[in-house]
Amino acid sequence: MSEPGRPLPVPDEGSEAFWSAAARHALVLARCARCARLSHPPDVVCPHCGSTEPGFEFTPVDGSGSIRSWTVMRQSFLPGFDVPFVLVDVELAAEPDLRLIGRLVDGPGAELRLGAPVRLAFEDLTPGVAVPAFTLEAAP
Amino acid sequence: MASSNRVAVVGYAHSDVQRHADTTLGVSTVQTARRAIADAGLTPADVDGFVTASLFPSAGAHAAVDGISLVSANWLAEHLGVNPNYAAGFQGFGQLPGAVAMAVNAVVSGAADYVLVHRALHNPRGSYHANPMTEARGDQQWTVPQGYFGPLAMIALTYTEYVERYGAAREAMAAVVVEARKNGSRIPWSAWRSRPLSVEEYLAEPMVNDPICRLDCDLPVDGVACFVFTSAERARDLPNQPVYVAGYATGAPVRHRLPLHWPLDDIMDVGAQTARRLWERSGVGPSEVSLPQVYDGFSPFVYLWMESLSLCPVGEAHRVVLEGGIDSDRTDALPVLSGGGALGNGRMHGVPQMLECYLQLSGRAGERQRRGVSVGVACHSSPHYGGAVAYSNEPF
Repeated sequence: MSEPGRPLPVPDEGSEAFWSAAARHALVLARCARCARLSHPPDVVCPHCGSTEPGFEFTPVDGSGSIRSWTVMRQSFLPGFDVPFVLVDVELAAEPDLRLIGRLVDGPGAELRLGAPVRLAFEDLTPGVAVPAFTLEAAP
Repeated sequence: MASSNRVAVVGYAHSDVQRHADTTLGVSTVQTARRAIADAGLTPADVDGFVTASLFPSAGAHAAVDGISLVSANWLAEHLGVNPNYAAGFQGFGQLPGAVAMAVNAVVSGAADYVLVHRALHNPRGSYHANPMTEARGDQQWTVPQGYFGPLAMIALTYTEYVERYGAAREAMAAVVVEARKNGSRIPWSAWRSRPLSVEEYLAEPMVNDPICRLDCDLPVDGVACFVFTSAERARDLPNQPVYVAGYATGAPVRHRLPLHWPLDDIMDVGAQTARRLWERSGVGPSEVSLPQVYDGFSPFVYLWMESLSLCPVGEAHRVVLEGGIDSDRTDALPVLSGGGALGNGRMHGVPQMLECYLQLSGRAGERQRRGVSVGVACHSSPHYGGAVAYSNEPF
């Protein structure tokens, strides 16, 4: 546990499954029951097939992907964050253009490039609350 | 487009742009509105339409109070003592082009004969974007717990992609910001008047959210601008040289994204559609635009708008800039920041771009008057969420 005072997610009807899985260090994402495609964050209408009854099922996703962009946060407008820290914009391998933004736990010293492979990690914020993050895959 | 060149800007007024004004925003707006209406040769009783976009563009926890931190169209009409035929606010991104489009359509449809468009921006005391939230609900639960918050982080992700993909140097962005501040330093009402910036100062500035530094961001300010619109026919009887609205375009991506997630490809794909829509509707193309005014609330938008408007090939704007290609003192350059933009004036949300088009095309730019300008484009926000308006000094 680190950085007390960071804002905590407040799960709601559409996100409860995501956050309870995250607490177990698992990533689950919304899969449309009509077109079977994943979307994040879940919307009320499926962004892929337009179904107004997407019947989203939260499906385990392994969370590996590649870096599409990053920033080193040297100042935060939110309370509780120790700066600097690195955020990465990751395209998940599970589906084209499926994106997740999270901390790169390797820290600001890591050498980054577009397309660098990453895998899922988690930040534990408080007991029972964890948020998805990433770590660089070791060079092959 | 049916409304092309049928509506004109016939008058304007602008307050001083200051870090913090002594005058309450609503008071300044009423004063500026009265001056704009008089400038157009009219009285408040003549004005029967009011349009604005009143968004207070802060991520902070400030209360948004009408007349204090923002000014709605209805608030302004009431405080000018006018019961208008039409009062409306634009709700989308690209606030100023969106408001101009509503004003144009109000005049063309006959909903109102004389429409006042205003934009009033406030800088509250304390940090502009700081937010003490301890819980992240709704949309914010997907990004805030990770620390992804605020527009600097948003544009930082976009700009990293640009830098890495096209090899853009920090020296090129220095040239952008120095150009904006040079032009802003010559503008009497600018928050940066008489305060140009050197390349060395830019390069010495530390990062906030890499690769964005403080100087890549426009300064939050208190400021108001007002413009009066009417039909081309009525404009003939008014004192100023009319500036016609040739066309306008706004856009919006259809991809579902995380909050504040603006990938470079989203911006450029939808930006190309925004530009195509602008050229089709206004009847001009990029080569006919003698006064392109790109949006620069964050400096990377300069590259993205230049490329979206086909002023240079995609991925090349940083090279054009580095070679002096946007130096407005050069006759062979693209004067994309001649009005100082947001970086050279303050966070006036598209006003500097629109004002420069109006002043230059109406021949009212004084010592800064440029020769041979006939068509201007005023951009605001991002090419994919924002918009642009084409202005002309004659109806074609």
